[in-house]
Amino acid sequence: MFVSNKFLSKRREKGVGQGKVSQSLAMFFLLLASVFVISAAQAEVPNAIPPTVTHSGEDVPQPIEFPHDVHTEENGINCLYCHTYARRSPVAGIPPSSKCMGCHTIIATDKPRIQKLTEYWENNEPILWNKVHDLPDFVHFTHEKHLQRFVFENEGMDVENVSEVCAFCHGDVKKRTVAKKVKPLNMGFCVRCHEANDGPADCWKCHK
Amino acid sequence: MSLKNILENWSHYRRAHEDGGHHEYEHMWGMAIDLNKCTGCNACSVACYAENNLPTVGKDRMRKGQGLHWLRMERYWDEPDLGGDEKEYQERGGSFLPMMCQQCNAATCEPVCPVAATYHTPDGLNAQVYNRCIGSRYCSNNCPYRLRYFNFYSYYEESWPEPLNMQLNPDLSVRDKGVMEKCTFCIQRIRTGKDAAQREGREVKDGDVVTACAQTCPTEAIVFGDLLDKDAQVTKLWKAQEVELGKTKQDKSNGELRGYRVLEGLNTDPCVMYMDRVREA
Repeated sequence: MFVSNKFLSKRREKGVGQGKVSQSLAMFFLLLASVFVISAAQAEVPNAIPPTVTHSGEDVPQPIEFPHDVHTEENGINCLYCHTYARRSPVAGIPPSSKCMGCHTIIATDKPRIQKLTEYWENNEPILWNKVHDLPDFVHFTHEKHLQRFVFENEGMDVENVSEVCAFCHGDVKKRTVAKKVKPLNMGFCVRCHEANDGPADCWKCHK
Repeated sequence: MSLKNILENWSHYRRAHEDGGHHEYEHMWGMAIDLNKCTGCNACSVACYAENNLPTVGKDRMRKGQGLHWLRMERYWDEPDLGGDEKEYQERGGSFLPMMCQQCNAATCEPVCPVAATYHTPDGLNAQVYNRCIGSRYCSNNCPYRLRYFNFYSYYEESWPEPLNMQLNPDLSVRDKGVMEKCTFCIQRIRTGKDAAQREGREVKDGDVVTACAQTCPTEAIVFGDLLDKDAQVTKLWKAQEVELGKTKQDKSNGELRGYRVLEGLNTDPCVMYMDRVREA
C-alpha cells in the first residue's frame, strides 16, 4: 500500500508538471495526491506495511486531561520516555507521578492541569487513569515483540520515529490530548497486519 | 483435504506421524514421568488448579464426571499379576499414575473437531482454541484417555468470589460454559520462556520452561522438556528407556526397561512417557 502510493505520486508530479492533462484526469490525480498526503502524514517505517483500517472509539475521560500533543508534537518527547516498558514487557506502562514531577516541579507550574497533578503528588495519591486500549482477556499481546520487529530489529528504522510504529495501533496520538481508540483492535485488524508483515499465524501465538 | 481423500487414505493419514508427521516442528514438548518416584500426593494436580485457573466444581458435579482437573491422579488398588486380590498386597497401598493430556502427535481429537478448534501447533502441542470451540464434545468422546473436560457450567463468579479473583493467573483466560478444555503443557510458561530466550538472543535451553506440575512435584517424578533438544534431561530419559516418538510398536523385549506410553497401541503417538513402577514380587 505504502510503496504503491509513493510510486503513484511520482506519476502525479510528472503529470502536473506537463500541464497537459484533461480536467477529469486532473481530478483523478488530485485524489491520488490526497491519498499520498494522508499517507505522508505517517512518516516512513521501513520494512512495514501499516494497517489502514480506522475506528471511531468513545472519548474516555481522564482524571487529568493529559495533553499528548504538547509533550510530543510541540516538545518532541519520545513515546518511550514515559511509556518505558513498551520495549521490554507486554504492557507499555503508564508513567508514575514521580516521572511527571521530574519536570513539572519547575515547568509550567502555573497551569491548572499541573496544579491538579501537584495536588495528587502532594497528597501521595496515585492518579487513576482510565484504560483506553483494552484487549479482551483471552488475547495475549506483547508490546515488546512488536517493538522488536518494527523498531529495534528493523534495519533503517530510527528509534526517534517510534511514534510512527505506535500509530499503527494507537493512531496519531501526537494530535490529541488524551488518547482515544481510533483503530478497531479486533482479530481481523491484527490478522490483516500479521499477513501483510509476515507475523505468526498460529492460533496459540495470540489466543490463550 | 477432500472427504474422498480422507476416506481413501485414512490409514495412511492415521500413520503419518511415523514418517515424521505433517509438521516441521520447532519444538517437541514432552514429558517423562517416573512412577517409582510418584507417591500419589496430588501436589501436581493442585499446582495445575492454581496455575491454570481451574474451578473447583464440588462433590456432586465431580461424581457426575463434570470435574475440571486437567491433571488427575489415577489410582490402581489391585495388581492382579502381583496377587492384587490378596489382602497383603492391598495393604501395600495403591499405584498412582498422574494423567494429563498426552499431547498426541497423531491425536484422535483433532480430526473430529467440526470447527478446527483443536489443532497441532509447530511446538508439537495439541492446542485448544477456546474462542473457536462450539462445544460439540466430539473431541472428548474420541479421546481414548478421557482427558478433555467440558465446561458444563460457568464458574468464574461462584468459584472465585471477590477477592479470590485476584489469585487468577492473568496469562490465561477463564473459560466460560460451553467450551472444551484440557492440559496445555502450560503454554503460558512456554510462551514466557521462549520470549525470554529471544530477548537474550539465544535458543530455548533445557530448564527454561518448566510446567507447574513438574515444578511442584516433591519427588521430581515429572520431567518436562523439549524432545528435539538432544541434551535435555527428558530426551535422555526417553533414550535410556528406548521409547521413540513416531513409532507405534515399541520394542518390549528388554525386561530391564520400564518406559511405556499409555495406550500407544492405539496409534496416538503420545508425548508423555511413563516409567513403570517396580515392586518386590
